Amino acid sequence: MLQTVFTGLFGLAAIWFAVVVFRTSSMVRSALALLFSQAAIGAMFLAMQTEFLGVLQLTMMATEMAIMAIFMVMYMMDPGGLGGMDMTHQKRASQVSGALGGLAALAVAFFVGWGPIAAEVRPGEQVRGLGLEIMERSMLIFETAGVTILTAMIAATAIAIKRRGKE
Amino acid sequence: MTTLIVALAVGAILFGVGLYGALSQTNLVMIMMGVEVILGGALVNLVAFWRFLHPEAYSGQMFVLIVMTVMALDMAVGFGVATGRFRARGSIEMEEARDLKG
Amino acid sequence: MNAVMAILMLLVGAYLVAVLEGWVSTGRLRPAGPITSGLALLGRESVVPRRPDRIFFEVAPPLLLVAALLAAAVLPLSPGLIVADLATGALFVNAAWVYVMVALLMAGWGPNGAYAMVGGFRFLGQTVGYSMLIVMALTAVAMRAESLFTTEVVKSQAALPNAIYQPVGFVLFFLAAMAVAFLPPLDLPTAPGELAGGVMAEYTGWRLAVMRLGRAVLVVTLAAAVSVFYLGGWLGPVLPPWAWSALKTLLVAAVMLLLGRYVPRLRETHVLEWGWKIGIPLALLNIFYVGVLLLVV
Repeated sequence: MLQTVFTGLFGLAAIWFAVVVFRTSSMVRSALALLFSQAAIGAMFLAMQTEFLGVLQLTMMATEMAIMAIFMVMYMMDPGGLGGMDMTHQKRASQVSGALGGLAALAVAFFVGWGPIAAEVRPGEQVRGLGLEIMERSMLIFETAGVTILTAMIAATAIAIKRRGKE
Repeated sequence: MTTLIVALAVGAILFGVGLYGALSQTNLVMIMMGVEVILGGALVNLVAFWRFLHPEAYSGQMFVLIVMTVMALDMAVGFGVATGRFRARGSIEMEEARDLKG
Repeated sequence: MNAVMAILMLLVGAYLVAVLEGWVSTGRLRPAGPITSGLALLGRESVVPRRPDRIFFEVAPPLLLVAALLAAAVLPLSPGLIVADLATGALFVNAAWVYVMVALLMAGWGPNGAYAMVGGFRFLGQTVGYSMLIVMALTAVAMRAESLFTTEVVKSQAALPNAIYQPVGFVLFFLAAMAVAFLPPLDLPTAPGELAGGVMAEYTGWRLAVMRLGRAVLVVTLAAAVSVFYLGGWLGPVLPPWAWSALKTLLVAAVMLLLGRYVPRLRETHVLEWGWKIGIPLALLNIFYVGVLLLVV
């Protein structure tokens, strides 16, 4: 019961912050609202007793969104949001598709018979189980992810770095 | 069962909000933020499925790790592309990026 | 009961660290210094800058305090004296320290002032430099303890403290901890001479008191983390466990504060460059070294 209440509360916070991301006109507020939306998602994980993933989500998303805040201040036309510009397009189409997508997912959530609910796994067991999973069955997946991360780092740096001598 | 339905509902609404944001914004960074919200909703669903239906199969948590990695990577490469576009044109508005010819 | 005791000891530790910081920076030992200056701050006029971003301006000081307290909640002072013994304690402290960076970013953008903004964004650059070092050093510590419970980490050092077992990791974590607490020479966000107080420049009155309290608690938390993860926490021969914890924490805090007097401030470009070019390879070598020690020796 308590678990449902906390999950619901953090879920409402995540949704509210996600809506604030697109409604506010200040860019830094937008980035930090996204940060708190992801942090609420991390808190939902903690409420669902998935401790490792919750803590990981909190850490990673805070750093990522703070870096996003810097990029927004660098590239956006109106970072403080006091200019009152309207930065949206295809309003009707996007609202309709957002509503339809959300409703479709809600319908699936409510009308599918999900089966019996399983008992919880203690957090210490979860960390150990996840470690064994990574090291035994999913080792190739994790190594591929590592190589992908390295490739993405090199690609992003190569795009972003200034060429010497051509400017 | 209620907690599972609540979590899935939250994931569904986050998906809808993220889809609205990704389609309605003109700025590349804001579109990326919409995609982040969509992936966040997917993460909520994944964790709810893992915890309530199959907590013995840790491949669920593995999936969550991979989705988090994808979120970080897509932001990194997206910002690289934004930097390149900003250097070439002076803005990253997607409305101005319609034509192929420079 | 245990939680209350732990928080009380934390506040006493923050008070002692504030006295130490005053002693190191002014040369005069004033045991009642924090109380008098805290009361003076509460009594002073609270000046709000023109057109601040209200939400960020108000939320930043409490968020700094809350992040430091959350990090301290998972660190053990003695076998039973811990607020919350989380199964992922060693990772949770890192999550709490990241919110220090969020708080300083808010404090940089909120007051609508140039010095604050420069300080806040420079701290973000510093964060990119040190955050990898902290996590990799903690990885090597968790490898030896074979668990993420902070109590298990302390117990795994019964034979040999981690500072001797993994000296490279110890040095990296120590420096990264100084960077999290923005202590000199890594005090970019509040650069006293250069940025006229930086992030804390526009705060006055009770908000500044909360920010300074948050920073003192943060220094205590980081010193406690260094002693728990690398110096063996409560382990020691004669004194009771909590006395060993307190002694080690205060010693680490004193060394952190003293180092600032002898090294000039590091620019964020240098922090980034040395952190990524020298620090990360060293951290990876440390993980490899600890792995070899654990599996082979």
